[in-house]
Amino acid sequence: MNGAGLSSRIAETAARLLSEGRAEVVIGFEQGSIPMRATPCLITDPADAGRLIWNAFCSNNLARYLVPGRKSAIVAKGCDSRAIVELVKERRLKREDVVVIGVPCRGMADPSAIARRFPGICVSSVDETDGMLTLYGGPEPVSVPVSEVLHASCRLCAARNPVICDIPLGDPVVENDPGFPDVEAFAALPADERRARVEAEMSKCLRCYACRNACPLCTCESCFADSSQPQWVARGTHPEDVLAFHVMRAMHLAGRCVECGACVRACPTGVDLSIFNRRLAADVAELFGSRAGLDENAPQPLAAYSMDDSQDFILDPGRKPE
Amino acid sequence: MTDTDKNAAWEPRIVAFLCNWCSYAGADSAGVGRMQYPASVRVIRVPCAGRINPFFILSAFRRGADGVLVSGCHPGDCHYISGNLGARRKFALLGRLLGHLGLEEGRLHFTWVSASEGVRFAEVIETVTAKVRELGPARRSAGGGR
Amino acid sequence: MTDEITGRDALVRFLERLLAIPGMTVYAPVAEGDGAVFDRISSVSEALLDFPGAVRSPRHILTPMTEKLLSMGPDGRVEEAIPTPGPAVLFGVRPCDARAIAFLDRVYAGGDRTDPYYRARRDALTIVSLGCREPRPTCFCTTTGGGPLSPEGSDILLEPSGKGWSVRAVSEKGRALADATGIAVESDGGNPDAGSIGAEMTPRVDIAVLKKVLDESFDDPRWQTLTAKCLGCGACSFICPSCHCFDIVDGEEDGVTVRSRIWDTCQFKAFTKQASGHDPRPTGADRFRHRMMHKFSYCIDSYGMPGCVGCGRCVEACPVNLDIRRLMEAFGGDGLE
Repeated sequence: MNGAGLSSRIAETAARLLSEGRAEVVIGFEQGSIPMRATPCLITDPADAGRLIWNAFCSNNLARYLVPGRKSAIVAKGCDSRAIVELVKERRLKREDVVVIGVPCRGMADPSAIARRFPGICVSSVDETDGMLTLYGGPEPVSVPVSEVLHASCRLCAARNPVICDIPLGDPVVENDPGFPDVEAFAALPADERRARVEAEMSKCLRCYACRNACPLCTCESCFADSSQPQWVARGTHPEDVLAFHVMRAMHLAGRCVECGACVRACPTGVDLSIFNRRLAADVAELFGSRAGLDENAPQPLAAYSMDDSQDFILDPGRKPE
Repeated sequence: MTDTDKNAAWEPRIVAFLCNWCSYAGADSAGVGRMQYPASVRVIRVPCAGRINPFFILSAFRRGADGVLVSGCHPGDCHYISGNLGARRKFALLGRLLGHLGLEEGRLHFTWVSASEGVRFAEVIETVTAKVRELGPARRSAGGGR
Repeated sequence: MTDEITGRDALVRFLERLLAIPGMTVYAPVAEGDGAVFDRISSVSEALLDFPGAVRSPRHILTPMTEKLLSMGPDGRVEEAIPTPGPAVLFGVRPCDARAIAFLDRVYAGGDRTDPYYRARRDALTIVSLGCREPRPTCFCTTTGGGPLSPEGSDILLEPSGKGWSVRAVSEKGRALADATGIAVESDGGNPDAGSIGAEMTPRVDIAVLKKVLDESFDDPRWQTLTAKCLGCGACSFICPSCHCFDIVDGEEDGVTVRSRIWDTCQFKAFTKQASGHDPRPTGADRFRHRMMHKFSYCIDSYGMPGCVGCGRCVEACPVNLDIRRLMEAFGGDGLE
């Protein structure tokens, strides 16, 4: 089914849920104010449901907008649904408070990737038909398949179909978990180069916290980064404080991060936080056999332990005890 | 003077987070037994390895530590039953992450030392000090930025 | 006396001459990931000359994100860290950014108080801006009183002229810099293309009307609905060329107490939180309302111009596409048409 067909089915579903009282709010996307952007919208009046759309630019993670205790319906792609799985597991949400309108996802298009593909074209409008984008604004319209300009997180997505779903819309897509080629490629670099890459990424950080605030799993009511007593991490942009903030945030998300990439997409300066989060996800998978967001019943790996966990990193000078 | 000579003259600063119930007592046994080990460690006593927030470790490096040692009870011996087992998962991830980022490699060490293991405690400090000494003073990023 | 410099090569030549001035620091747009950022360059090859617009505004050149104000050693002796920069050129900002610097001048160095840190950097800086040929979909400079060739804040304005640029000295400082480079400048009105550029950029609202409506809209329920999707991050403020709120923090480096000024924003939860725990702006809607009120009402009262130059960066950078222009239209839209 194409985007236009899905858009109208989403709108019909939203209007029905609102008028039947099954949801107080429907969280979805509407047309953005600039080309190549869809924007989150919260619909409470069935008459407004027609604003809801679905296209290749619906890239925000909408689980961020779920509020405990508010009966909500949410248009969920794979990554949104994975976040909901974790939020329910953490009892941030009650499953029965959320109506998941599941939309299989072929991956979202990245405006930066489009700009790299067509340098010099300032896109003024875009059409989408059957996975093909036509971009206007240059001397001639140009076309590109969505699959060639995906966000990095979408290229690496392990679960594109909604993991949990109450109202399925659209045809399921074929899953293809590519594993962690990005992590392996980075790990293959010499340590100096890795450090230099990390420092270069950190130097772009403004400490605006868009990454944190866009993250569906950053649900702490007060963040360590905002605490002044104790002050866990100094404010300002000293490179070591910036790094400490990002390492700590990544650690807080270890085993919980659903790899949706919302943090990377939110960053106004394009800091690649996947270097942190994907490594942790790969290690959690390897060490604890767990992947966040995929299994409603699996325990959270950092709220669990086993006597048999690997401890090859434990220093043991010379002699074994006992 | 070679780099190795220079490092031999330099005394690393190592922050050691020690569990109150085992490793801290292990350090005591090393003292009572009059064992010699390098005076490079600054000990911070914590109630359990499980109490150690990864941020403690990052803060130590941020404040100028050349090395950090975390030591708790052997698996199965935790005073709180499983604090060290939960901590082990956290430490495994943190160590790998920092290594991945090219940070503090060879400067962050985890171990288990029981209350009776004074000898092991002295050996751990010897080993960690030697490793950190070999790396030289930690490189710190300058302040400023854009 | 005119000198039309043509195309990209001409900009290269101009930059080369600037770099050749002894002791001159040159800031220009350089690549950073997919975007551009203003930074010090030592050769022309580092500069990005065909860039659509810098992701980050040049404001960090004058007010660094983390700026040391003073330090105090263990002996209690306080040393102020007022900078003593040599002459510098900020090359390649757009007229909107130059206008934002004119705005910052009013904030930091207007009226009867002057910030010595800002003053020192500002006095040393000469601004060479690059006029715009075409607006981007996010641009709205004409709405806030600027324009693609607005000279306000610039010392030298390079105006698009045919395929090249004509050099216009806006200030004495600019004339002196042009003399130092040996490039001739034209007098006012010498560029025949100037009138047509930006003609299609009709203002979206009347700023005076917007201010009037905002002043009466503090309790408007639409603040809740229009800002419901705001994430409460500081992306919009931190890429803004005219946002200037800061906080002052004390820290320690190598045994020395350091007092720093850091960027802060009204969008952060902690911004107005008081020691008692009370927060006069407890919700996201309160905070976004303040952003609008500050830019389009309070700044006009205090500084005689809005705290927004219409560069459109926040429109592009907002992770959820909360478009400030939509809010301007919602409150001031009836003032036009």
